[in-house]
Amino acid sequence: MDRRLAALLQEKFGERLLTPVRQRYDESEIRVALADATDTLRVLHDDPALRFEMLIDLCGVDTGGEMQVVYHLSSSTSGDWLRVIVPGLDRTAPRIASATFMWPGAEWMEREAYDMFGIIFEGNRDLRRIYMPDDYRSFPLRKDFYLADDASRSPAAGVRNMERAGTPADATAATVLRKSPGV
Amino acid sequence: MAITRDPKFSNLPEVQPDGSVQSPATVGNTLWSTDDPRAYGGLPLEAHPNLELARYDATGDGRVDDARWGGALSAIPTKADVVLDLIRANSLWPLLSGLACCAIEMMSTATPKNDIDRWGMFPFRASPRQADVLIVAGTLTTKMAEPLIRLWEQMPEPKWVVAMGDCTCSGGRYKRSYSVVQGIDRVMPVDVYIPGCPPRPEGLIYGMMKLQQLVKDRRGHWPERAIGPTVPKGI
Amino acid sequence: MTQQMRPSLDDPRVAIPAESSWYEPAPIPQTERQAEFLTLREGEMFVNMGPQHPSTHGVLRVIIKVNGEKVVDLDPVLGYLHRGVEKLCENADYHQAICYTDPLEYVASLFCEAAPVAAFEKLMDVEVPLRAQYIRVLTMELNRIASHTLFQGWMALDLGGITPILWAFIERDEIVDMLAALTGQKLLYNYYRIGGVNGDLNHEFMSRLGTWMSRAAAQIDSNLALINENEIFVRRTRGLGVLDAKTALKMGVTGPNLRASGVPYDLRRDRPYLVYPELEFDVPTRDEGDSLARYLVRMDEIKQSIRIIDQVLHEMPDGPVMAKLPRLLRPRPGRAFGAVEGPRGVYGTYAISDGTDQPFRMRIHDPSFVHLQLVGPLTKGNLIADTMAVMASLDPVMGGVDK
Repeated sequence: MDRRLAALLQEKFGERLLTPVRQRYDESEIRVALADATDTLRVLHDDPALRFEMLIDLCGVDTGGEMQVVYHLSSSTSGDWLRVIVPGLDRTAPRIASATFMWPGAEWMEREAYDMFGIIFEGNRDLRRIYMPDDYRSFPLRKDFYLADDASRSPAAGVRNMERAGTPADATAATVLRKSPGV
Repeated sequence: MAITRDPKFSNLPEVQPDGSVQSPATVGNTLWSTDDPRAYGGLPLEAHPNLELARYDATGDGRVDDARWGGALSAIPTKADVVLDLIRANSLWPLLSGLACCAIEMMSTATPKNDIDRWGMFPFRASPRQADVLIVAGTLTTKMAEPLIRLWEQMPEPKWVVAMGDCTCSGGRYKRSYSVVQGIDRVMPVDVYIPGCPPRPEGLIYGMMKLQQLVKDRRGHWPERAIGPTVPKGI
Repeated sequence: MTQQMRPSLDDPRVAIPAESSWYEPAPIPQTERQAEFLTLREGEMFVNMGPQHPSTHGVLRVIIKVNGEKVVDLDPVLGYLHRGVEKLCENADYHQAICYTDPLEYVASLFCEAAPVAAFEKLMDVEVPLRAQYIRVLTMELNRIASHTLFQGWMALDLGGITPILWAFIERDEIVDMLAALTGQKLLYNYYRIGGVNGDLNHEFMSRLGTWMSRAAAQIDSNLALINENEIFVRRTRGLGVLDAKTALKMGVTGPNLRASGVPYDLRRDRPYLVYPELEFDVPTRDEGDSLARYLVRMDEIKQSIRIIDQVLHEMPDGPVMAKLPRLLRPRPGRAFGAVEGPRGVYGTYAISDGTDQPFRMRIHDPSFVHLQLVGPLTKGNLIADTMAVMASLDPVMGGVDK
């Protein structure tokens, strides 16, 4: 079954695949270029031999050098699973076409990818923040957004008082560490 | 294509040449804050028709506890105090403010197996105007802090706060998160802390019994608390 | 007073303040859909079902645009419980990451652990001992029953009935105490480990399980009779929020919501994991797609879960419950997607490893997140109270929605 699927994918998308079809356990994975993403999804959905009509998941990935959008598709008739990775999004201005033309349910998943990474999905009618407040200016899941601990200042600390770390910026170990006398 | 962690984007803070750590990348909050002059209709405190409670608090007249003798005699406990406190303690109506997992344990406390109706706390009021205790059960995030504070302000005196669960006591397992308030005592005065993740219903009941003790002893934040909107500035 | 006053529309003799929005300025639409939502036509107004509401299953804010009592449009606002779990998992190692995923779908937290554990086991090529697999199936099905019982109580609560939730919690407390005897915790179990489970079954758990199994079916039937035959419940939910199969597939719906619309897709059958290939059970499916069908599908699933538990108890082999693994886990670089069929749908985790001891990216896919998009389209044209019925029948858990 897996070899059949791999052969089918190779036949349909041959030159558009950036790497050969990779299979491990029960998953198959293909990579397509940014420009081919929409066509690939359309073929995967419509083609009678493939029929991947369920979009299970849509997410963004920040690899540090570039960004990717990863789609997980499933077929309700044959039980096959497929991962489509679209690499090559520019980290400074990531843009990709939206999948809502085929799956309206991708709207919120794309909103989440925008909120967490800043990826702009062209064609999504409702691309605004979904988790963070509307005035939040950072994108939390990017690799250059690091989490705070009590002694550091980081982009994770927002502007509101309650978002700041508890210790002041000029704290030293002598003032922060509690000494318990006589113990 | 191997996925590597670019060392430029490591999770350690970058130290600038002058020794300070990288400053936040966020810009000012332009939507709303308590300092915003538009926040209360653009009116100063004295002119706003709905901030009578805040003005009343500023005069200090409301500090007197009506159930006690006035002035120097307030050291004498009267029977009315004791009875009022007993009534309040035995019928603390919580506000339904279950935010996350601890809410399930709070509901479990209200249901027949661990019945909190034995202490008179079964009616979880949906409206803050009818509630006595704000049991904050579940993680408080920075987005939810504003509605929760508004709920707290809308509750009439006397009122108490119970921080249920690790997330409300100190941030809990989300200690380093960017969107979790590290303990609700950053935004409101807390009377009882109940640790646990989630605390067992027996733990919540123990905490509520402690609160009853506080009510009867007139300890805790309520007797000294300000009347009216008490949101810290710049939240 | 320097406040501008105007005569009230209800009674012109009464003067009320002219500007009435103190706290929030009128929102400026940022997107096309938001502009469409914020445009009010004749007779329409906004009603805010705020984050604190007895019936929104947690902290969900729904802005409803109503014309009279009929809902014209709906805009859910999420994020009031966003805890940043994905980011926290990137900064923790593989064992700790499982602990962070527990409180996402807190009523069914074993499924929230099973998915990342499955993904990590694929990354590390770990084989789970057979006894541990059976224990996982057993505990997951128990958790499914507990979750569906809670759903039953909640659905009745949202429609106004107080008794069923009390009965549901009696049921749920029995199961959850059983799991507490096994795992030590009533709600956020933290029981699954990479390569197995934390501890073997003990006597306390088995005795409670035996007692419960002996009367489970009868007890559940009696609970069902209270609600299923209630005319108010049936008339309020029948024909409400009809979701047809084609729309459901386009919206990414999975789980009982999809099965109630006629598509018999169940991960335990179509992409089996653990020991499900060896177990016999049916996949209840209904065609109507309305709220009543979604409710009944879940009730049928409880019965199937009892059947599965029965088979598991008979076929459980002996053996170790944990594979031998080093303490410091460093999988080789790669990607894996682990998914389980949770009580709300396909709960999946996409894990990327870069060869270090921390996951590079741990993406959690929660079904409630996708299902909440349906509340708007399904409630158009119905009354405000029907919003609650539709939302309850979709069974969202805000911990998972907001991550």
